[in-house]
Amino acid sequence: MLQDLINALSLGSIYLLFALGMSLVWGTIGILNFAHGAIFMFAAFASYVIVEQVRLPMLALIVIGALVGAALSVAVQVLAFQPILQRAKDLRSGEMQILIGGIGVAAIPLAVAEEETGSNPFGFSASSYATKTYALLGFRITNTQILVVAAALLIAVAVIAWLRMSRSGLALRSLGVDPETASLMGVNRRVLGLGSMAVAGALAGFAGVMLTYHLGAITPDSGDTLLIKAFAAVILGGVGSMAGVVVGSYVLALAETIVLTQTSGLWVDAVSFGVIFAVLLFKSEGLFGRKEVRRT
Amino acid sequence: MTGERMTGNRASSAPLLQVKDAAVHFGGVKAVDGLSIELTEGKIFGILGPNGSGKSTLLAAITRFVDLTAGEILLDGEEYHTLPAARVARRGVARTFQTVRLLPGLTVEENIRLGADRVGGRGGADGVREAIERTGLKGLERHRPGELSYGVQRRVEIARAIVARPRLLLLDEPTAGMNQSERQEVSALMRELQKEGLTQLIVEHDVQMMVDTCDHLFAMNFGKLIAQGDPAGVVREPAVREAYLGKRWSQHV
Amino acid sequence: MTAWYDSNIILIQSTFVGLLTALSLQVPIRFGVFSFAGVGCYGIGAYTTAIIVIRLGWPAPLAMGAGMLLAAVTGYLLALVLSRLGGLYLGMATIAFDLIVTVVVANGGELTGGPSGLFGAISDVGTVHVALTSLVVVVLLALSERGRFGRRVEAVREDPELAAAMGVEVRHYRQLAFVISALLGACAGGFNVLLRTTIAPTDIGFSLVTLALTMIIVGGSRSWAGAFIGAVIFTWLPSVLEFSGQWQKVIYGVIVALAAIWVPGGLLGVITDAYRSWQRSRRAGGSSDVGPGDGDRGTVSPRAEGTPA
Ligand SMILES: Nc1ncnc2c1ncn2[C@@H]1O[C@H](COP(=O)(O)OP(=O)(O)O)[C@@H](O)[C@H]1O
Ligand SMILES: [Mg+2]
Repeated sequence: MLQDLINALSLGSIYLLFALGMSLVWGTIGILNFAHGAIFMFAAFASYVIVEQVRLPMLALIVIGALVGAALSVAVQVLAFQPILQRAKDLRSGEMQILIGGIGVAAIPLAVAEEETGSNPFGFSASSYATKTYALLGFRITNTQILVVAAALLIAVAVIAWLRMSRSGLALRSLGVDPETASLMGVNRRVLGLGSMAVAGALAGFAGVMLTYHLGAITPDSGDTLLIKAFAAVILGGVGSMAGVVVGSYVLALAETIVLTQTSGLWVDAVSFGVIFAVLLFKSEGLFGRKEVRRT
Repeated sequence: MTGERMTGNRASSAPLLQVKDAAVHFGGVKAVDGLSIELTEGKIFGILGPNGSGKSTLLAAITRFVDLTAGEILLDGEEYHTLPAARVARRGVARTFQTVRLLPGLTVEENIRLGADRVGGRGGADGVREAIERTGLKGLERHRPGELSYGVQRRVEIARAIVARPRLLLLDEPTAGMNQSERQEVSALMRELQKEGLTQLIVEHDVQMMVDTCDHLFAMNFGKLIAQGDPAGVVREPAVREAYLGKRWSQHV
Repeated sequence: MTAWYDSNIILIQSTFVGLLTALSLQVPIRFGVFSFAGVGCYGIGAYTTAIIVIRLGWPAPLAMGAGMLLAAVTGYLLALVLSRLGGLYLGMATIAFDLIVTVVVANGGELTGGPSGLFGAISDVGTVHVALTSLVVVVLLALSERGRFGRRVEAVREDPELAAAMGVEVRHYRQLAFVISALLGACAGGFNVLLRTTIAPTDIGFSLVTLALTMIIVGGSRSWAGAFIGAVIFTWLPSVLEFSGQWQKVIYGVIVALAAIWVPGGLLGVITDAYRSWQRSRRAGGSSDVGPGDGDRGTVSPRAEGTPA
């Protein structure tokens, strides 16, 4: 039982690291970035390519992953989303093109990684970091799990604090609430958009590296699955609410862990889809979100 | 609401449209706030009022684009403020919009045909030709809205609204963006349509044109009716001058 | 000709199946409904057809009909359930629906063959059948893009509120979009399983959404012709790109991304735009039969006068 809780906690932390960036971008500049999963995966993949050449410690790989993630994320914003938004005739059609554009862009890093790995799992066995398992009071926990949970919670608190207290965080939040007034008050959408995309990308890269350490290896297509799960976590918590993402991620992970232990493992993926459906239908603003999420 | 009551009301020649104590609130904003008007058949009615006084919202309520917070709206004495907008349109309430809403992918003629579709029937083709001629759009049928000036686009909207031969025509600032001669053409068209029995409700800032064209004026401010009656009289009322005409128009009229 | 046909029979059949799949996503988009449920209905159609053919031994048309019926009912129920959602939220909810179908069939035990799927859905369905069906579908859809119905669909997509003011019951059109999409998806799935004789959960996952969407993005989302162009390109491109060897998938991704960003109307949009501007220049050169008040052709900003609503 306690073992399940520990597993749920570490799984939820991975979801959280991934979903935080997605939610940040969606809740503020209104972009649902479908390439987030590909960025996540490619950052881990880039770290893998480097660690195959040079034996590096975990910290170095985390930095590389975060940097690659941030760079990719900014590139997607500049090369894809900004041109789409500039040319879109209204918000509604822009929204759809962003979604489709994200799916299109995501195909490139996925193709590169699949090409290089032959779609096989890749991992950091060449890294100097070694997983240790501690047995305590009858349950087991790895040093990676401890790191993942600690990092996720710390980063979530840091992001929330940044949004609440710093000037740029406030400006970003004002964009999410009322873009027009925010622009009138001198908030620079473009710069903030790039900034939040960079942060989101770095978080995705970080999550990618941590998940790879945690699982030992990941496949190039693992970004897609995580994308749907993160979406479920974000809307469960409520779009625009960072505290909501934290709760959403852990609730989803807990529900999945319960399903995993109670049924054959195959039903696990149904949990997030069920959550998406249920939330959109019955409580579309999520647990902590603003009211006007529903748009018809 | 029963068939009996309907005919009963018609027989007693109820006004075409009655708005009774209507209110439309958007959160704290009281866009329309306890307003009652009656439109009798065959007349041209006008609404004056400063920006934000709730004129467009009133038209939106009549066409069922927004829900009433309170009050009721009756067509032919029959309550209809629970019907979907499409049903109201099919009962013969047509409108134009303050900001032009034409479909960019369709030609002028197709845009107008869209308005004719609601009556169905084959007689449509003649009606479309007639609407095009009456709004002076002949020769522009194959153009797309994006190629036309704003004033011409507005005329396409008017053509689309009248092509289905509605019973009640609501025009929201129909001559905004038009030059003087275009305005006069629209004004002439409105009187011509009136001769054919069409009831009209027009929102317009051009006071002179409203006085010349309308049979009856309503003046609105803060979602409430502040005056109504004979056009020349209404624009002379102090409350109206203060609310709306004020500095801008007092010498004008 | 026959030699070419024989050696490319799989690709030819796949083109039609691809066309039907792409159309099942395109029809709702054309109605302004951002639904990907067609792919889930592809799964429903494929599995229902396969199960009936394999387990009950019904003739293929009946099996496909049953699959399409089940999908249509599902599509209609989805339309009712999701009626309040729009935009991104509808898109994501329908993607979730597609993936739920995948999970369900992967867990269907003996009935659906679990993760390895079903084998041996043997029938006499061939290229002729899928080609003729596609032809009928295309003719019907081409008709739906014209005249009164076509105008109304255009209005429902571009400006639902305006459509309502024109007396169009937008709700019914949206429901219709779900049902047509479901029928097309199930039809594509049914044909695919009968032509290939097998189906597995991995055939109907997220990658199928991406593939169908890709066809529409590159081909064009406004007309059946766009889906056709896309289906041809993306069915045949992999074999054409063979020469570029290992980077095939990357090139593929680049094409999709470029199209999504820079050519939102797809190839069909490029062609139509070119045709229209050619028409316009011809008109300008020829008769100058211009109505009164059309002095300047430039578009005045709608905000030039008047007040924001
Ligand atoms: N959809 C809406 N949501 C919130 N407020 C609205 C909406 N539509 C109009 N309003 C507000 O209602 C008031 C009346 O607006 P409107 O009817 O457009 O005025 P008018 O047409 O007389 O200029 C304004 O304060 C406007 O901001
Ligand atoms: Mg107005």
